[in-house]
Amino acid sequence: MLEKTAAVKRDLEKVGEIPEFMFRILILLNLVIVLFVTLISSHALWGYVNEGTALDFLLSAGRIPPQNWVFPVTGMMLFGCLILMLTVECNNHPELVSKLIVEFIITIGISYVTSFGYTGIVVLLLADIMRYTIDWKKRALYIIAVSTFYLLMNGNVLQDWLGVIPLSVSWEYYRADHYVRFLSILGMLTLINMFVFIFYMVLLVLAQTSEKESILKLNLELKEANTKLEEYASDAVRMAETRERNRLAREIHDTLGHSLTGIISGIEACIVLMDIAPDATKEQLRAIAEVARTGIIDVRRSVKALHPDALETMDLENALLKMIDTTKRSTGVEITYFFDADLNHFNQDEEDVVYRVVQESITNAMRHGQATKIRIEITRVDGDLHILIFDNGKGCENIEPGFGLHHMQERVEMLGGDLQYKGDKGFIVLARIPIRWGTET
Amino acid sequence: MNPEFIKSRRVRVGISILIAAAALFIITGQVRRIRNSKEQVLTLGVFSDSYWGVQSGYANKIIDDAISRFEAEHPGVKVQYESGIMKTDYSEWLSEQMMKDTEPDVFFVPEGDFSTFAQINALKNLNDLVKEDDSFNPDAFYRTAYEYGKYGGRQYAIPFECAPNMMFVNKSILDSEKIDLPARDWTWDDFYTICRKVTRDTDGTGIIDQFGTVNYSWIDAFDANGVELFDEKGKSCDFTVREIGDAIAFLEKLSALGSGNSLSERNFAQGNVVFQPMNFSEYRAYKSQEMSFKKYSGFEWDCVTMPAGPSGDNYSRLDTLSIAMSENTTQEEMAWEFMKLLTTDPQIQSEIFEYSAGISVLPEVTQSEETRRRITQSTGSEFNLDILESAMEKSVTRTRFRGFDNAQEEVGLAVRSILESNSNIQMEQIIWNRTINNYLKNMQQRE
Repeated sequence: MLEKTAAVKRDLEKVGEIPEFMFRILILLNLVIVLFVTLISSHALWGYVNEGTALDFLLSAGRIPPQNWVFPVTGMMLFGCLILMLTVECNNHPELVSKLIVEFIITIGISYVTSFGYTGIVVLLLADIMRYTIDWKKRALYIIAVSTFYLLMNGNVLQDWLGVIPLSVSWEYYRADHYVRFLSILGMLTLINMFVFIFYMVLLVLAQTSEKESILKLNLELKEANTKLEEYASDAVRMAETRERNRLAREIHDTLGHSLTGIISGIEACIVLMDIAPDATKEQLRAIAEVARTGIIDVRRSVKALHPDALETMDLENALLKMIDTTKRSTGVEITYFFDADLNHFNQDEEDVVYRVVQESITNAMRHGQATKIRIEITRVDGDLHILIFDNGKGCENIEPGFGLHHMQERVEMLGGDLQYKGDKGFIVLARIPIRWGTET
Repeated sequence: MNPEFIKSRRVRVGISILIAAAALFIITGQVRRIRNSKEQVLTLGVFSDSYWGVQSGYANKIIDDAISRFEAEHPGVKVQYESGIMKTDYSEWLSEQMMKDTEPDVFFVPEGDFSTFAQINALKNLNDLVKEDDSFNPDAFYRTAYEYGKYGGRQYAIPFECAPNMMFVNKSILDSEKIDLPARDWTWDDFYTICRKVTRDTDGTGIIDQFGTVNYSWIDAFDANGVELFDEKGKSCDFTVREIGDAIAFLEKLSALGSGNSLSERNFAQGNVVFQPMNFSEYRAYKSQEMSFKKYSGFEWDCVTMPAGPSGDNYSRLDTLSIAMSENTTQEEMAWEFMKLLTTDPQIQSEIFEYSAGISVLPEVTQSEETRRRITQSTGSEFNLDILESAMEKSVTRTRFRGFDNAQEEVGLAVRSILESNSNIQMEQIIWNRTINNYLKNMQQRE
């Protein structure tokens, strides 16, 4: 599946390369044209000064042109700007519009140094716009904007306003036949530029169409994969159910089955023994009762194991309260508590750790310390959650980290916190957990 | 450069905008500003020969005096100019400097090229400088000379030196014909009467050898009759007006007198013609003792005002040499100070009467006793300053626009062809009016 996607993607890039190549040719061609026009104008201006016809030129030009080196040099500078701008990729329409405006200004500059004798540079902007996959309505708007700009550049308004000396005046320096030759070269280059642009557009449209097809194909494959995944998921649920049923069967067999088997055989023995040796029977019945008692304990344990955790059905605070309440009622131990933090907006893993720490500590206090009073405090200190549990039990001089404590420590450390305990006077456990309070309101 | 660095979009846009700004900086010609900002050098554009075409040998004397005064008043400042540029090459030289972006900060502008340079924005608009400078008083100049530096409502140049067109008179002929020198307010009728009287064969060979006038052109006639040929922007021309008809009729009358066309300046120089319009600078040049033997030496001569047409006055066309500041100057303040020194300083202006052939643009200087003494001394005869003064008072200058010379040539063609044909002048005027206006319209479109 992944390999297939990569292959399609490679294919896509390959199709996109040809228009990109044409785009570079377009840039190069425009560079050549701008250089051609500005160098000839520059030479003409140089010629007027050196042949003593400057006054005549100024008279027909009606304004003083910049020095002769200015046009080629600034032309190349501005062209560099344009290339840089063309490489800037935009992510949204406002960006694209601002980029286009900057490019318009640079284009006016380049056209200015070519005395508006060459305005074909606009097709570069259009070619760049077309590279973006924009929906056709907006694309049409961009095309209209660029075309209007192109018309404006070819009208006389901008030329008059900027005070441009037309090529027909500056190139008058050359003999008529040379002048005509230069003009025809310029016309030819402009035509070639248009052809390359059209060719580029055709390739681009082709590439974009095939890109769309590939995307459609990819979409179809994705859908298929999704259906399969859904099937897998329902299979997995069924398998889990079977596993659970097997487990239940095994559990019933192991506990209830075992005890009942013992009870049945014991009772059968009693039936035989009852008349011969009533005392032995009594003894036997006692044993059976013991087996039954063990059985019921096993059943309870199993049921408890199968029963979902309090935490799974309710939020942390209620789960803790329920646990405390149950423990108090079933053992008679006095448990007091104090929560000053909102406990209900933690992540699942954090809730889990808090619950287990409290549960394990209570169990430890009762089992090992025979405590009659337990105090639980959960507070927030800076960014940390502090869980403090202490009791009035006998404590423990030499603490051997048993399974329970070790397990707690591991869990707390997994969240980046730490666990401290002390057993010289009752038993004190302090867990500090850095909570990701982000979701707290 | 770090390749990651260039990959950032912001960096690319930033670099791009920076380069574009630099390009704009270059295109608008700011490089010159940086190059010149610290220099204390003022450059001048001057030509080394006389503006009036009369070589005096004192080519740049006035400029040099002004420079040494200016440098003394402004320590640390240097004023430079390139010498050896002739008047005929001057405008081309100036154009080349403009195209090389090395034009002088302050330069002289010959009359024919003022409108050209004003049109191509080569000259700085001086309106603000004039307005803000309390020590500069436009009223101190001859009005026409000062107005001459205006183009499209902006003051682009300040006059330095000028000379009006005047009528030169061969006094010897008038004496022998017992005719008085024309009065200052003489008219076309007086002009025609004298011409008719003197046009005759004096030595009895049967060929007319004494003539009334030479070189009295249609432009002179139009000026005299108060004709405003073109509107301010040169978009239209009213060729049908009565003033033009009268002027053409007068020219026709004049040319009917003698063998008209074959006459030239030579005939006046030989002493066979009574009147010839000439620039006052010629009077000054050839009246002076050093030069007098070169021309007009065989007879007594003087100059009077131009004759007045029936609808006009004794108008004189004024030729003005002015000074302008480069639009791109980096030394605006210094340039203005120097321009003021050349044009408004009485001492510098009075040197014009010593080293040049024009007259000062300041009435205060031209009418001074000192000037009268100087002219009288150099010409060796009592000079009536009042004639010059009244010519200056009634001096006119033409509305100039782009393509003015060609448009004027077109009108000249019209006048010549009307004079040559014998048909009704008024009708011809209407026909030519169309032609000339079509020409102006075409000229506008070609721009």
